[in-house]
Amino acid sequence: MDYPTELGFNEKPSTVMHLDLNSCFATIEQQANPHLRGKPVAVAAYTTGSGCIIAPSIEAKRYGIKVGMRVKDGKLIYPGLIVLAPDPWKYRNVHLALRRIISDYTDNFVPKSIDEFVLNLEGYPSFDKGMLEVAREIKERIKKEIGEWLTVSVGVAPNRFLAKTAAGLHKPDGLDEINKGNFRQIYSGLTLTDLCGIKIRNAARLNNLGIYSVLDFYKAPYFRLKTAFESILGYYWYLRLRGWEIDDVLFARKSYGNSFALPKPLISIEELSPILSKLVNKMGGRFRHAGYKAQGVHLSLAYRDGGYWHKGMTTAKVLFDSRDIYKVALRLLTRCPYRKAVRELAVSVFNLTSETSLQLEFFDDLEKKKRIVGAIDDLNERWGDFVITPARMINTKEVVMDRIAFGGVKELEEFTTSLSEGG
Amino acid sequence: MIEKISVPVSVSLAFDHTKRRVFPKWVVWDGKTYPIEKVGLHHTYREGRTLYHVFSVASKALFFRLVLNTETLHWRLEEVSDGLPN
Repeated sequence: MDYPTELGFNEKPSTVMHLDLNSCFATIEQQANPHLRGKPVAVAAYTTGSGCIIAPSIEAKRYGIKVGMRVKDGKLIYPGLIVLAPDPWKYRNVHLALRRIISDYTDNFVPKSIDEFVLNLEGYPSFDKGMLEVAREIKERIKKEIGEWLTVSVGVAPNRFLAKTAAGLHKPDGLDEINKGNFRQIYSGLTLTDLCGIKIRNAARLNNLGIYSVLDFYKAPYFRLKTAFESILGYYWYLRLRGWEIDDVLFARKSYGNSFALPKPLISIEELSPILSKLVNKMGGRFRHAGYKAQGVHLSLAYRDGGYWHKGMTTAKVLFDSRDIYKVALRLLTRCPYRKAVRELAVSVFNLTSETSLQLEFFDDLEKKKRIVGAIDDLNERWGDFVITPARMINTKEVVMDRIAFGGVKELEEFTTSLSEGG
Repeated sequence: MIEKISVPVSVSLAFDHTKRRVFPKWVVWDGKTYPIEKVGLHHTYREGRTLYHVFSVASKALFFRLVLNTETLHWRLEEVSDGLPN
């Protein structure tokens, strides 16, 4: 296929808006607790010293505290750092409130993560107000209707990539547009690694071909980008930087998984199997609720010494019952050649299918099994997760807590559907 | 300092129909009444079919996480904080 390679910057007006809630989890915590406002706050996966910081507040960022740092390192930088455990439902509620505001302006929007939305106003009456005016209005409504401490950075551009880039220009609380009139000026103020998707290795690839700045990147002819990336990615970058859309693809869910970082170093299968059972049951409930079945199980173990082992297995039978998934996962666990202290245990199912009819089996009564699993799921839904569990899960009450992904948005489908069903 | 607790408390909840706002006015905890000065955030979650309303509120010096069980209409205090690091 021939691609157009003599393109200029897209002449189309900016119709895409990228909205990014600044320091999402930490800001929401400051919104909830006014006594934390203006103070360095960090939300960490675990509040213990080796817990990982997943969201520093704007004030904490000013001290150099970053996402991914350990809590103890954050406290070394600023001893007065207030560390909080995540409260997923708080963030999900704010996400839904943001979703409600945005849907007043367009139906054509995609949540890119818990704190990021992409809106396209093309063809909607709100577009006539002007993109920047709509952005200002949304900012104001967020403060008024959700919380006065919340700020969003907004970017406006002809495509998603440039809208995201624009949203990153002035954080927090920014509002910028990249269009055919100002893109050269904005590109000249950016470095290659300021672009989302270009980190050191990609920057080095570009440097090898004499591309040192974003303006060089923009001016580079297609064949040079093709050489740099050695793939179709070169063409994607060619389009992105010229304001043409290439990132409006939605990827389907390919797997469901749950993981747990062990607070104690467990070694033996007997010690690990109750946790494995809980992970499988949690995951089973989620993927059945979404209407899936699977034909593969994957298990991975990260060890305290830095080592890692994983194994996947496709199955001939279609799996939906957590007990069957557990059997496969346990078989994988017994195949693990290492017996050393485990740091993190993760299990997932893949080869998802949403087929409703199943191949009948000679020895197993599948219909009966379906009804039992359905009844257990109904009970857990009515009375709360893990009301009915396998006996081997005894003593796992505190493990595998509710967690929130701050990168992906796949889990959002689960709680938005469960909320709308619940009313 | 943040203290996670779970104790029954008395709460007065008001509804202003003109502004369509619901807000706790005071909380009685440990024999002391704390007037609520600010509602930071209100959110909900479900455990099974039971819907819980969570009010994150602040008195003059303290923060309270107040949780209303909509099945029993009973309140619990789940967290107290003075906004200082642990």
